[in-house]
Amino acid sequence: MFDFFKKKEKEYDDVIYAPLKGEAIESASVNDPTFAEEMLGKGMAIKPAEGKVYAPFDGTVAMVFDTKHAVSLVSDKGTEVLIHVGLDTVMLKGEHYTAHVESGAIVKKGDLLLEFDMEAIAAAGYDTVTPVVVCNADDYKDVIRTTGKQVEPGDVVMELEK
Amino acid sequence: MQTFTYVIKDELGIHARPAGLLVKEAKQFTSTITLECGGKKAPAKGLMGVMGMAVKQGNEVTVTVEGEDEEAAAAAMKAFFEANL
Repeated sequence: MFDFFKKKEKEYDDVIYAPLKGEAIESASVNDPTFAEEMLGKGMAIKPAEGKVYAPFDGTVAMVFDTKHAVSLVSDKGTEVLIHVGLDTVMLKGEHYTAHVESGAIVKKGDLLLEFDMEAIAAAGYDTVTPVVVCNADDYKDVIRTTGKQVEPGDVVMELEK
Repeated sequence: MQTFTYVIKDELGIHARPAGLLVKEAKQFTSTITLECGGKKAPAKGLMGVMGMAVKQGNEVTVTVEGEDEEAAAAAMKAFFEANL
């Protein structure tokens, strides 16, 4: 009980909110070594229940890939995050994806960034699991992840400590 | 200072995975490694910057390496580009 309150009081240096609705899982469960081995940085992944990606914090869109399958953002506090919708989906070359923002856009937590056709992507033979990666994780001492449960956009999935 | 250019052959250009590998390779060296392509410049040790360059097939990338281990770093980066991109 007391620990619970303590945890609530703790101030993290930055917080990443779920960019999608779905099941939050550990990176290690992602069927792609790039993400399972966290080659691009520490993170987690979401098995989407809905084909919509929302801003995980207040910040700036660093880049929307031409192929619209991934978006990178920088939070107002300097955290760099990559949201990669599906595995190997660079191969789809933009098909089944719609971008609602452009590189350089200022966004608020919960703004719609991308939409994707989950069924079509799955039908094309791709895994829609979406890794959410902190690219500058080396700048943080600790990345506390919440996995193993269903999340809604806006739920806390990562807390970062310098 | 060491410098070389490389024209990207990979059909998909430098997307997330190769960008991650490139950064990992660059981080093994103490030298400052800079990528330049189409008027955009980024340090090779920052994933966000490398991805943000959106390097495509057919683009020419100029790699500049400066520091104590520049010779080894330039050779390794060149080998990396040839093997992966």
